[in-house]
Amino acid sequence: MSSGPPEAAQAVISPGPADRPERGRLELLITERGGKSIASRQFHQGGLRVLRPHYLDDSGQVCYVIVNPGGAYLGADLYVIDVEVGSGAKLLLTTQSAMKIYRTPGSFAEQRMTLRLGEGAQLELAPDQLIAYREASYRQNTHITVRPSSSLMMAEVVTPGWSPDGSSFRYEELRLRNEIHVDTGAGTELLALDNLLVRPPLDDVTGMGFMEGFSHLGSLIVVDPRVDQALADELHAVTQDHDAFTGISLTQSVAGTTGLIVRSLANSTEGLARLLGACTALLRHNWNGQDRLNLRKH
Amino acid sequence: MLNTATSYQLALQQLTDSALPTGAFAHSLGFETYIERGLVHDEASFGVWLSAFVSQQLTYSDGLGIRFLYEGVPVAELDALLTAQLLPRQLREASIKMGTRLLEIGDEVFPSPELTAYRELVTAGRSAGHQPLGFAVVARSLGVPLPEALAAYLFAAVTSLTQNAVRAIPLGQNAGQRLLRKASDGVAAAVERVGQLTPDDFGAVSPGLEISQMRHERQRARMFMS
Repeated sequence: MSSGPPEAAQAVISPGPADRPERGRLELLITERGGKSIASRQFHQGGLRVLRPHYLDDSGQVCYVIVNPGGAYLGADLYVIDVEVGSGAKLLLTTQSAMKIYRTPGSFAEQRMTLRLGEGAQLELAPDQLIAYREASYRQNTHITVRPSSSLMMAEVVTPGWSPDGSSFRYEELRLRNEIHVDTGAGTELLALDNLLVRPPLDDVTGMGFMEGFSHLGSLIVVDPRVDQALADELHAVTQDHDAFTGISLTQSVAGTTGLIVRSLANSTEGLARLLGACTALLRHNWNGQDRLNLRKH
Repeated sequence: MLNTATSYQLALQQLTDSALPTGAFAHSLGFETYIERGLVHDEASFGVWLSAFVSQQLTYSDGLGIRFLYEGVPVAELDALLTAQLLPRQLREASIKMGTRLLEIGDEVFPSPELTAYRELVTAGRSAGHQPLGFAVVARSLGVPLPEALAAYLFAAVTSLTQNAVRAIPLGQNAGQRLLRKASDGVAAAVERVGQLTPDDFGAVSPGLEISQMRHERQRARMFMS
């Protein structure tokens, strides 16, 4: 995007330099040593840190839990997360609790996350749900670069939030934007752009075409050279057993890797977590011989 | 001798005529899933779907793509963005199928260096060839002002979708005309909104529309390719 006008160029380049004061920063570099993944570099500042790493099984995958000691994102807060998973390393990144966005009068809270995966690297992102309350505005920009042999799994659940009078969808604006690029060795190509924009004051988001009468939205994005139509069909069969309105499709293929997206609407966080958990369980089992993810947080 | 405004208006009429053989009759762009679920079944319910489709998908993807092209963003970048953003496979394929036809027709009837350049990118496999971008390249080369190009493109999309709904639901011909008259307000609002959006807004999806477009892949009995 170097030759376009600057305002349009922003559409696909990574989040720019921090032009707002940072409330928290987290940097992690995960590398593989003798079959075990470890953080060979770690930095945190302000309102973001990680718990001591742990290993949930003998796959060598390290699990880091992100903690926001403030418990919530507030007006004009900027949080920056920068994670690199080196060649052959395996990381599971999750959160300690739901991400809450409270009132952000006249401004918006923001999270900018940059993720880079090396050759054969695995990254599993399994954050808790996002809850936006009355008069909250939130922007989440996630910029991901994979290699053709990397494996990425990212799940996300958004709940409608509520206001003191009990009604939901009272927040101002929610933007969750994921850009996934493939570093082919000869350059970087855009594989997928997943852009969710919910502005309840501007449009009726509850009905046909938008939330279809449901309250919760879940997404799972998988990027892996093993993604194909047969896998999409298998995952479709898995989702059939769940009480949710779900769609599955494949992205284009770039340099031998393909994206798969599961998008689902339902009426509870637990229902969506079960559905997405069943999908990732299949992938963890088929690809890595791992059991279903059980974080035992709650 | 026709003056410029008159000649581009006639060209625009040809480009947006539902008889333009791009194959638009074969695409519901997701509303067939709503028909199967029983949620779209008459004039009013199709009107609700159409209004959501115009104010969301057509505004944030097609409309904004056309505006960026007019503002000078290279067509190859916008083409890559659309391919990446249209996550439902059938929707992506529909945009490329109709776009490729539009590029072929455009090359025969309204040739321009810009159009040739876009076709060459597609032939070389470096671009996919998306419908809104093919339209924007031709319209811009003909000197059509952006607001008119946007309105014409959006209304043409609305017209072919409505004609398809008239056949599929089915609806009476007069119901189809009433829907079009009503949809023109939505088109005008969309043109207005496209002008106010930012690059971050590009490709914003509506989950319900998107899931329905994905589910169409697995629908057993279907009239449409998308």
